Amino acid sequence: MIYLDNNATTRVAPEVFAAMEPFLTEHYGNPASPHTLGRQVKAAVETAREQVAALLGAADPSEIVFTSCGSESDNWAIGGWLEQNPTRRHIVTTRVEHEAVRNLCEHLAEINCEVSWLEVDGNCELNLDDLPRVLRRDTGIVSVMLANNETGVLFPMKELGAIVREHSDAVFHVDGVQAVGKVPLDLKETEVDLFALSGHKLHAPQGIGALYVRKGVTLPPFIIGGAQEHGRRAGTSAVPNIVGLGVACELARKEADHEPILRLRNRLEDEILARIPNAILNGASDRSKRLPNTANISFQYVEGQNIMMLLDEAGICVSTGSACHSGSHQASPTLRAMNVPYTTAQGSIRFSLGRYNTDEDITRTLAVLPGIVNQLMEMSPYQEELKALRQAG
Amino acid sequence: MAEISTLINQHFLQPRNVGDLDNVGFSGRAGSITCGATMRVHVQVDENHRISDAKFQAAGCSFLVAAASLLTEEVKGALAAEVGALLQSPATTLTRILGELPPGKSHCVKLVGEGFVAAIRAYSDSVRDEWHGEEALICTCFCVSEKTIETVIATLELRTVGEVTRACNAGGGCRSCHSLIEDMLASSGD
Repeated sequence: MIYLDNNATTRVAPEVFAAMEPFLTEHYGNPASPHTLGRQVKAAVETAREQVAALLGAADPSEIVFTSCGSESDNWAIGGWLEQNPTRRHIVTTRVEHEAVRNLCEHLAEINCEVSWLEVDGNCELNLDDLPRVLRRDTGIVSVMLANNETGVLFPMKELGAIVREHSDAVFHVDGVQAVGKVPLDLKETEVDLFALSGHKLHAPQGIGALYVRKGVTLPPFIIGGAQEHGRRAGTSAVPNIVGLGVACELARKEADHEPILRLRNRLEDEILARIPNAILNGASDRSKRLPNTANISFQYVEGQNIMMLLDEAGICVSTGSACHSGSHQASPTLRAMNVPYTTAQGSIRFSLGRYNTDEDITRTLAVLPGIVNQLMEMSPYQEELKALRQAG
Repeated sequence: MAEISTLINQHFLQPRNVGDLDNVGFSGRAGSITCGATMRVHVQVDENHRISDAKFQAAGCSFLVAAASLLTEEVKGALAAEVGALLQSPATTLTRILGELPPGKSHCVKLVGEGFVAAIRAYSDSVRDEWHGEEALICTCFCVSEKTIETVIATLELRTVGEVTRACNAGGGCRSCHSLIEDMLASSGD
């Protein structure tokens, strides 16, 4: 199996699994218990908090709160802050956020908030001048992702944060889920107030996330109950998962050299674009503006879902921006926001690499992909358009 | 269910009858604004009005590709008029051919049906255009002339296409003549 869908989830690192195992067997205490078993476990949770803080570049480990997933972190950050600031009813976010932010903001817009949606251009990039224009006195929160999950395009977090500070009293929330472990971070040197991450995107298990809450920023608890996480998130800590996340962050910090993944991704991307006539890149062609692991490529005039399923048949896992659900299917909101034409968005495939991919994986993918795309091109009803593409190529 | 998905899977992985008929035969198009799928169907019809060959081209989900592939096999040898009528009857007919549909996929099947019907109507239209009989032909599926339809409309005082079809079969096949029958109904009152 060749796994090129690491933006969806990642394999649990063996080191992470090994570190978690004792907490699923002999170290079964509740970290809230004052006895020996509890104290042991409590110490492990605090070590993990330090490891997460170190990867994010937080000023203090107490700024890290463990949650169950990235979506919970995003929901807590935005929903929580607005709940405790009832006079601030304006939100600023982008058209290309993950559903955890986008659908929440759409929901809030229906209830009692006003949302300004920042547009992206055809490269999936923001225009920084748009932000000061939409900020207002009653803007409560600005929420922008650090890396787009589909195209891998990075938004300039530092510059955006500076604009938010200069032009408003809003807090600045960053959905960092797709970026953590893939780009260097130093949150204490930025104006970021809240920052969401998810464990399973960086080789920790599914079911663990965290929210960075800058010292001085307060949020009401998302789950009301006991005094866990200093009263900020009730519910017994998911100790094995927390330990796993800590080790995963430690591994990401030690393996900060993304050159190997970058090299593999560039090879895959270059060869696809050179060899397949209907292939075009979605997202900034300037690679320094994208995650090192992601290549979102459209195969024009064919259906992405077909490519995905035929690759799956060949033992290769990718994802598509076009998935026909229940008849109300449309191309992904990100590609639509980029104004990608329908016949291009329909054939989009996201290749997202990870730590365990090899040269051999890329070689095998490049061996089968052109044949699959060619087979679908022969089936396409757009023969005239494809002929023109072939001649142009 | 397992058997059905195997059949669909086989037809998706190895679709039959992909391509066109090099301008021999008749073509129809269908597309969906909601799901973005588009397809073309090409049929060849012999002198006995039976479909002798069928091919398709599609950019749509795997189920649509499989359904189109299955149908190209199914329609071969059948009367064009019968296929046209069958594909426009309630979707249960298609479900019988294709098996139980996955959730949310009824629109894909509808689209495949529309593609085939469009190709068959193209055939019917061409038969009508090329007809050299004494009386003008309106319904090519059931070979009903303009004169026959005029007579039933006048004598039975018919008002709708459905009544005409019940009276003389005209319009009961591919339905390509419905607009012509409507015109005749409209002018009959003059």
